[in-house]
Parts: sequence; C-alpha cells; structure tokens
Amino acid sequence: MSESLKFTFTPVDGAKPAAASSNPHAKATTETDDDIAVLKEKFGDSICEVSQYAGERTVRVTPEVLKRVVYLLRDELAYNYLADIAGIDRFTDEDRYAVVYNIVSISRGKRFFLMVWVDESAMSLDSITDVYKAANWNEREVFDMFGIVFAGHPDPRRMFMPEDFEHHPLRKEFPLLGIPGSLPLPPNTPEGALNYDPFSAAHGNKPSKSYEEPVSTMASKN
Amino acid sequence: MSSIASYVDQNNTFSFWPRHNQALYQRLESKHAWLERSKVKAAADEEDPLDNEMVLNIGPQHPATHGVLRCAVKLDGERIEKCVLDIGYLHRGIEKLAEAKTYQEFMPYTDRMDYLSPYSTNVGWCLAVEKAAGIAIPDRAAWIRTMMCELARISSHLLWLGVGLMDAGAVSVFLWTFEQRENIYTIFDEVAGARFTVSHSRIGGVATDLSPKAIHLLDSFSKDFPKVVEGWEKLLNRNRIWIDRSQGVGVLSPEEVVALGMTGPNLRGSGIAHDMRTFEPYLKYSELDYDVPIRTEGDSLARYFVRIAELKESCKIIQQCLQAMQPGPIRVDDAKRSYPSKDEVYYSMEGMIHDFMYTSEGVTPPRGARSYHAIEAPKGELGFMIESDGTGHPWRAHLNSPSFTNLQGLESMLEGAVMGDMVILIGTIDPVMGEADK
Repeated sequence: MSESLKFTFTPVDGAKPAAASSNPHAKATTETDDDIAVLKEKFGDSICEVSQYAGERTVRVTPEVLKRVVYLLRDELAYNYLADIAGIDRFTDEDRYAVVYNIVSISRGKRFFLMVWVDESAMSLDSITDVYKAANWNEREVFDMFGIVFAGHPDPRRMFMPEDFEHHPLRKEFPLLGIPGSLPLPPNTPEGALNYDPFSAAHGNKPSKSYEEPVSTMASKN
Repeated sequence: MSSIASYVDQNNTFSFWPRHNQALYQRLESKHAWLERSKVKAAADEEDPLDNEMVLNIGPQHPATHGVLRCAVKLDGERIEKCVLDIGYLHRGIEKLAEAKTYQEFMPYTDRMDYLSPYSTNVGWCLAVEKAAGIAIPDRAAWIRTMMCELARISSHLLWLGVGLMDAGAVSVFLWTFEQRENIYTIFDEVAGARFTVSHSRIGGVATDLSPKAIHLLDSFSKDFPKVVEGWEKLLNRNRIWIDRSQGVGVLSPEEVVALGMTGPNLRGSGIAHDMRTFEPYLKYSELDYDVPIRTEGDSLARYFVRIAELKESCKIIQQCLQAMQPGPIRVDDAKRSYPSKDEVYYSMEGMIHDFMYTSEGVTPPRGARSYHAIEAPKGELGFMIESDGTGHPWRAHLNSPSFTNLQGLESMLEGAVMGDMVILIGTIDPVMGEADK
C-alpha cells in the first residue's frame, strides 16, 4: 500500500448503543438466545461477546474456533443456509476488520449472526466453503474489498475488480474517487495509448484528447 | 504458461488486464482436475482427433447474457464441461458510495441496482435504515409500499418472461409483456412522477400520497392483468416448443439449492418454501392473505410456473391493499426522522430549517448500531446490513443482492448442460447485473 493512502476519521469503537428493546422492525427470527446458550456451553471463553441491537444477537467468536462453530451451527442446530458474508473496516488500531456471517435455518425459522475480528497483522481467516458451498463468492468478495485472505478457499481470485488491480477499495483509506493510474482502460482510438485514468479531471489532470482542439476565435477577439 | 491460456490468447490479444484474463483461464483449466485426469487416461493416444475440445468466451457483451456477464466455458462438443463466470463489469463500488452519502441521499442510487424493480430496492434500503434508526412508519405508507413492491415484482417478472421466452425463440410474448410493462410504467409515473427510476420511497414513509387516478389505475390493472396472464398461459403452459426447451433443463435438487444459497423463485422452484414475506414479515405482509407458490421439479419449467403464479398472487395482494388502505399520514411527523411535508417547508420557517437539516444531516442511527433487514425482492432475498457511527452517513452499508447469490448457483448449473441451453439457463435464474456487480 502506497504512502499516499491516508484516512483520518473517528473509528467506530467504544460504547455500544443500548439494546433497543422495542424496535418496530425487530423480527422473531433473530431471537437466538437458546442457540447462543448452546454455543457458550460448548466453546466457553472462545465466545468473546454477544451484542444485541434491534433484536439481532451477534455472537463474536475467536478466529480459531470459527470453523468449529460453523460446523456446529450447521450440523447440530440446523442452520443449513448461508445468506451472506459481510466485511467491515472498523478502522481501529487493533482487530481492525470484522467479518459478519449471516446464517439462516430455513426449517427452524432462525437467523444467526456470527462475527469474527481480524487483526491487520494476521489478515487471514479459515474459509468455510467446505461447510457452506455458498460461501465461495461471498468470501471472494470480502477478499477483493478488504484483502482478508481465506485459507483453504478453492478459488482465491478477486470477485469484482480485475486481478491487475492492487488495492482493496472498501478499506477506509482508499479514496472515493479511486487512485490515478490504478485501473488502466483500453485505448480510446485504435492507435491511441492506454488512457490510464478514468477520473483524471477529478485529480487535477487534463484528460488526454485523441483529437486537436480548434483554437477558439472568441478568445483572440478579447 | 498454462495450456488453455496460451491456446486462447494466441496472438497476445489480451494486452488489456493480462493478469485478470490469465487467472480466469487458469481457473477454468484447474477446475475439476479429477475430471480431466480420468479423461487424459482414456484419450492418451487419441489427442482429440475430432477437435471436440474448445474453450469459448461468451460475453461480457452478448445479448443473451442479460447484461455484462462473462462466461468462460470449456466445451466437449456441445456439452459444457466446465464454466467460470466473471462478473464485475458493472462494478461501481456502490457500497463505497453509500459511505459518502447521507442515508436519504443514497436512496436514488438503489434505483440503479436492480433496475428492473427499482421500487423494491428503494423500499429495501429505507426499511434497513428505519430498522437501524428505529423508525416506525405510518400505516398508509406501509400499505403503499407493499402495493408498489408487488407492482415492481410484476414488472420484473414480466421482463423475465418476455426476455426469457425470446431467448427460447418466441418473439411475440416479448411484445405482449412490454405492453403490460407500459401500463405499469404509467402507474409508476402517476404515483412517483417517474416511469423507470422511481425513487418514491423515503426514509420514514413515502414521498407523495396516491392520487385518485393512481388508485383507479392500480385497481383496474390488478383486476384485468390476471386475465391477460391466463391468455399467455393458454399459449405457453402446453406449448411443445417451450416445454421441450425448459423441461428438465437446469435441474436443481432441494439440497443443492440450499447448499448453493440460491434465493427467490429459484429456491421455490425446487420445493423450498422460503420467502422473506413469510419468513420475516415486513410492512403489511403479515396482515395479507396470499400464497407462496412452490414447485418441486426444480427445472426451468418449474421456475416458470412459480413466477407465473407469483404474478397472479401479486395482483391479489394489490387488491387487498387497496381494500385495507385507510386515509392517513404518509410520513412520520418527526423532523429528525423524516422529511417534513412540502406545505410546511414552503410556508413555515421551522419547516424550512427542518428540511435543510434533514438534507444536510438526516437520520442518525445510534453510534455502533448494526442491523440487517431483508425483503423479498422479485429475484429473492435482498438485504442491507447497515453499521452506523452516529453520524448521518453509514459507516458501512453492505448489500446482500439476490442476483449475486443466484449467479453463483448458475456456475454449477451450467456445468453438464449443453451449449444450446445456456441462454435458457441464464434467463431462468433472472440475473440483473446492476445488482450483482454492486
């Protein structure tokens, strides 16, 4: 990562909001206290934290036990359907990234949120593609956007960005307008050189033109 | 250099994004290596004399891919042996954009995600923000949203039907469905003031109330439309060509669809009755009487029947909404949570200030709040996960898009299919690249 990528903002850490007891959109499917009790009994200290907001319980576990927890959820608690995996850049000094697994039990009508924190020095997690086949593309997306490597993933390529791209766009230090020269575009004319910058004007450069602009006659009169 | 990559890139034509193309073809080559190895033994001394083996690149620009979907396939004669999908050609970084917008500012962007049913995506976003901020919306707004979401479902399924059948060779159905889509556009125009990118939903309610003309249009459309569908069914349900093209094509067992994480009609076509409207009822769905149609065959024809049945169910829901809807406010009367009405803005100082504050700051869910809300979009489970840092901008907004999850399933559906069924299979899972590529 180049030195120019800097981002300063108040990181999201510290006090959690009070568990909103009466959220109008709270769903019965996210009341998973029984399952959390099962996990706590089985894994003890590896369950770091159970947070609750809008009726949603999120269980944070250590990266070491992630795969065992996921196996337990699928095999013993009938969570057979992986709905989503989301990465979050918390922008804190320690445990900077979070990955949230959104797992559904269709038969029992429950939705479970599992969370893992990943430190910048580690940047690696166990892949759960052998538990849920559906995790394949979602994990590729998290890798593409945050750079978290999933160990044991069968197809560790980027999801959206081309392989030639070197950055991870959803990290907070990545600028909204992109990095000049990071995404080469095809030539605009058959003979023309590669136009390296889609947002050159935004970065203060004049876009290269494939034609000669006529000299303005209006300007010479004034 | 691998054999496939060098075979395809004969004249070094991929000077553009070379590493990406190399990785893609290497993946295609390395996939299911066991299948290759068993074949190598059988054909060790033959060396493919008929030249059956072929690597073909379809897309991203191809009319049958329904958008910018790129499929690299390895063919053995007509049979697709292996397939690797490449998406991201419409990637705009919409989640990154959301971090730089206020919650309300981002809402029009959601129109451009699933551009075939913009209303449902609007509602999906607004509900997610309302859950994060704990805003309850007035009854009338909920009824309007429910009704218009169902209209968006009809509109999306109509496009799927017309385009999907055109892929199979039937051009006239495309024209008929677009005639009906035109009627739906007229209703959206009357309700929201825009035909395509409606942006009608607001955080805390909807932008405008329904006019009497809009109610009349909705009523007559939902009464007449089931008869139109019945007319199409007379043509299609027992049509030899359509059945031959779709029956037994792309069969997915219930175990497979769940393992692949597919959503929406693709899940219900394989006999899994999983629908966000009943799984996690939102808006007014718990008060309505409707069926969630399922089929157990799991092939393309089953998915066709599911979607056709959903068209009629949606009309039923719209009728019930029109019956149950009572006059009342359409937005929350709280300037910290929703836009004040235009009357207030134009005729009172307070209203003006509130409007200004709401535009520049907007709703602020509590710091550290994280919540997920999913709706049943026409394509399946559409969810937004929002994490707040206590400001008016989302710290992280994550989109769980149904097209993305369904496309993942398409990759394994295509393997083993014949080349001629490929367009049918892409059509049958109904992907929208604007949503899959984020």
